[in-house]
Amino acid sequence: MKHIVVDPVTRIEGHLRVEASIDEGSGKVQDSLSSGTAWRGLELIMNDRDPRDAWAYIQRICGVCTTAHALASVRAVEDALGIKIPKNANYIRNIMAASLTVQDHIVHFYHLHALDWVSPVAALSANPEATAALQNQVLATYQVPLRGPVALETEAFAKELPRATPSYFKGIQDRVKKIVDSGQLGIFAAQWWDHPDYNLLPPEVHLMAVAHYVEMLDKQRELVTPHVVFGGKNPHPHYLVGGMPCSISQDDGNSPVNTARLAIVDRAINLGRTLVNQYYLPDLLAIGGIYAKAGRVDGGGLAKERVLGFGQYPLDTYNTTSDGSFFSSLLIRCNGVVENFAAGADKAKFTELKGEDLANPDVFGESVGHAWYEYESRDGDDKAIHPYDGQTKPKYTGPKVGTPTDWKELDEKGKYSWLKTPLWHGKMCEVGPLARYIIIYTRAKQNLLPDMTWAEKMMVDQVDAVSRVLNIPPHVWLPTMLGRTAARALDCQLNAEIERFFFEKLINNLKTGDMQVANMDKWEPSTWPKKAKGVGLYEAPRGALSHWVNIEGGRVSNYQCIVPTTWNACPRDDKAGHGAYEKAMIDTQVKIPEKPLELVKVIRSFDPCMACATHLYNTKGETIRIVTTDPYSGGQTVEA
Amino acid sequence: MFISFVTIKGGKNVEKRETMWEAYLRRGFSRRTFLKGCVALTSLMGLSTDMLDKVVEAAETKPLPVVIWMHGHECTGCDESFIRSASPLASDLVLTNIALEYDHLLSAACGEPFEQHLEETVKKYYGQYILAVEGAVSTTNNGTYCMSGGKPFVDNLQHVAKGAAAIIAYGSCAAYGGIQAAKPNPTGSAGISHYVGTKQVINVPGCPPIPEVMTGVVMHVALFGKLPTLDSDGRPRQFYGNRIHDTCYRRPFFDAGMFADHFDDAGAKAGWCLYKLGCRGPETYNSCGNLRWWQGMSYPIQSGAPCIGCANANFWDSGACFSERLPKYGPLPDVDIIGAGLAAASVVGVAAHGALSVVQRHERDKAEAKENEGKEQVAGK
Repeated sequence: MKHIVVDPVTRIEGHLRVEASIDEGSGKVQDSLSSGTAWRGLELIMNDRDPRDAWAYIQRICGVCTTAHALASVRAVEDALGIKIPKNANYIRNIMAASLTVQDHIVHFYHLHALDWVSPVAALSANPEATAALQNQVLATYQVPLRGPVALETEAFAKELPRATPSYFKGIQDRVKKIVDSGQLGIFAAQWWDHPDYNLLPPEVHLMAVAHYVEMLDKQRELVTPHVVFGGKNPHPHYLVGGMPCSISQDDGNSPVNTARLAIVDRAINLGRTLVNQYYLPDLLAIGGIYAKAGRVDGGGLAKERVLGFGQYPLDTYNTTSDGSFFSSLLIRCNGVVENFAAGADKAKFTELKGEDLANPDVFGESVGHAWYEYESRDGDDKAIHPYDGQTKPKYTGPKVGTPTDWKELDEKGKYSWLKTPLWHGKMCEVGPLARYIIIYTRAKQNLLPDMTWAEKMMVDQVDAVSRVLNIPPHVWLPTMLGRTAARALDCQLNAEIERFFFEKLINNLKTGDMQVANMDKWEPSTWPKKAKGVGLYEAPRGALSHWVNIEGGRVSNYQCIVPTTWNACPRDDKAGHGAYEKAMIDTQVKIPEKPLELVKVIRSFDPCMACATHLYNTKGETIRIVTTDPYSGGQTVEA
Repeated sequence: MFISFVTIKGGKNVEKRETMWEAYLRRGFSRRTFLKGCVALTSLMGLSTDMLDKVVEAAETKPLPVVIWMHGHECTGCDESFIRSASPLASDLVLTNIALEYDHLLSAACGEPFEQHLEETVKKYYGQYILAVEGAVSTTNNGTYCMSGGKPFVDNLQHVAKGAAAIIAYGSCAAYGGIQAAKPNPTGSAGISHYVGTKQVINVPGCPPIPEVMTGVVMHVALFGKLPTLDSDGRPRQFYGNRIHDTCYRRPFFDAGMFADHFDDAGAKAGWCLYKLGCRGPETYNSCGNLRWWQGMSYPIQSGAPCIGCANANFWDSGACFSERLPKYGPLPDVDIIGAGLAAASVVGVAAHGALSVVQRHERDKAEAKENEGKEQVAGK
């Protein structure tokens, strides 16, 4: 048995450590552990803030899925205060959310995940002519020709197509060769490039993918221009409780949004469509096809057993989330849980998530049996507590082997992570694009989705199209490492269409003369109830996100988030078992324990976002340490 | 008085590193491409075209800087902003202009081999590398609220900082502590400058900073082998020398007294001044007004959102809702004292270098006030 540690796990957001015990003979992972190794206490910082500012503070949870937390936050506050946002604001928020998803998925695939699959070193032995031929073949073969129901087409032809000439690939190869020869590898340094997994792909695929890595590094910035137009910047665009701050006028050149500004958004939307259909999906299917052929359908773990979604994209404005009207206005009704998908879409069990479930402590809660917190309730740390009543007291216990400031091995039997363990009916769930696809596919196949929307139909068609390419049924390929990565690419394609869809809805609404972007009726705190609470839901790029806010006397009295990466990366629960990262690692074969590329690959297939996942909950009456620092003492702290 | 032009010296026994020109040669670019790159950089860095010769000379003769990028208590928004840069483009930057040897976001490697590579890089380029830090330092409970590689971030930072030629604090977290240092600061977070000994820290605040400001600072070092000129707060003057209010395209509306009174009212639709909606432009030093985001496309004010002052120290605890005016500055007539007042408040504790700066800002504000009153024209700098 070999115990391995990977810390830091890179090409993710934030600080993550994983450990695993691997049987060296069989390559089987016997046990594994996932630990969020930092927390920043943001929810405590939310206390006593003006709820109209909450989005700005809490958006700083994460700069990778920037916008996600701002959107969930304004939704939570609007739910609490009963504010209905104007149509234009809903469309603009949806365009921003979808453009985040498109950009975030592309960055994840090419810049965070790709180097687990492809190697610049392997690209050196590629034949540039054969690579050009391969590029053309990939473009011709690996397409999923699906589009949204959009009448407003503004692009004459697809720009930014992949280049497929030998000289182009020769140029890329020469550059890579010179970097490798120089010995100063920069971002390519110190990786396990000799790992046998890199031999699965022919050199030409490596070269093609490395070229696209570089191209997408420069292109991704253009995909979030909707954030810059509507929110002023990216990362961290600006929002407004009650709508959006970007007023619209067709008569003012100085206006935040006018025809010229909308044309910028339109261009970004067209670009996103082209990049996902000409680069991302063909590359993913070419590489994934080879992995599938090699029988690499492991790493599913919890996805086979249970996935959760909240649903996404309100079509038009709705009353509130808590009264269930959010769920009844969705473009994609993945609100619910699917269990046992690995047995087949027809045998899986679907449970719908309804408005009344949200405040029910039997449905949602978090336990801290293995997290560095302690509960003051008499039921102990293992008893899950609902986020509206959340409480936490940090309790750092250090590692099993090593010292508190120099870890060797963490304590899987005790506490080992700054992430809490979220539970649905006391059970673990995986969230993410894969969960969304599993839920919609299951609902559709079991006729539990009356009057399917175009987006839901497209999701089913996408899954069926990929099943044909891979020649494997969905219940086999979807709940795997490969399926998690493939579902993200499909989600990217879908969201590119959703951007177009809501852009057209925005234009059509503006045609009616409705220019309103903000509902300011309940802006003044004097119009608010003395006490209120609300929840904001959003299917972030990484999965189901929820913010829970209590407002008292015009100020935030309790603010809590349950975040996609908390669902996925959480530590185990003694009753519910391992979380999604841990289960996925246990479900993965490792060839060389000293070079556990397969483990970091399966972890990265979740697109980890640790800053999102770690947070401190509000403890009423907790004494806060006052820390004074002496600037010349080299970092010593004096506690008062 | 300004901390300007601190030369980065190479040790004697260090292997020769290649220049930007050599890198272009090595990668098969033409001289023309190289010169085009220099022209882009010249304008990027706010230099006049007659500086082009110097930029070309610098790019030909100065070695590629090695960059180590570390993460403390952060959200990775600064990393993301960095790769949104349009000039230079991210690929050109990380593959040609700098040697980015350690970065949690982009580096291929992870775990032990990655940490070993960090050690080797620190040894090999001791005294020469640029350390870029994103995120705050947490010190409560011996720094165990921010662990990386099984060790507290604060320890890792202090270790790597020792051998750094220059240290860049990217973002308001690394510069001032940022969001996690907001009240009640449960993790004891602070900016990095207190934890890197006597080393000069280049503060590049903003939440996040503008992409081209982030890359511009590195490019300045890459091209000139020197730190850019800094102000008393350690910020590069070329990017933080103006208040957003001074460079805002809505400034004429302020001067004319044309304001949005509420979000989405007629004034907001027409793009009038957001001062009454709490805009922190008058007290914030940043390039949002002149560089803007996405090469001039927008910035929060242009998109109808009042500036929240994200490049200011402790802007999270300003004491007022972001859509309200800061109470201590009162109503409209006092606007011209706001910048000077805030500048004075922000330099407490760094008085040695601060005094001159405050005087300078005061002079500028006085000049501005005069201009507003129309008494006399004051020549710009």
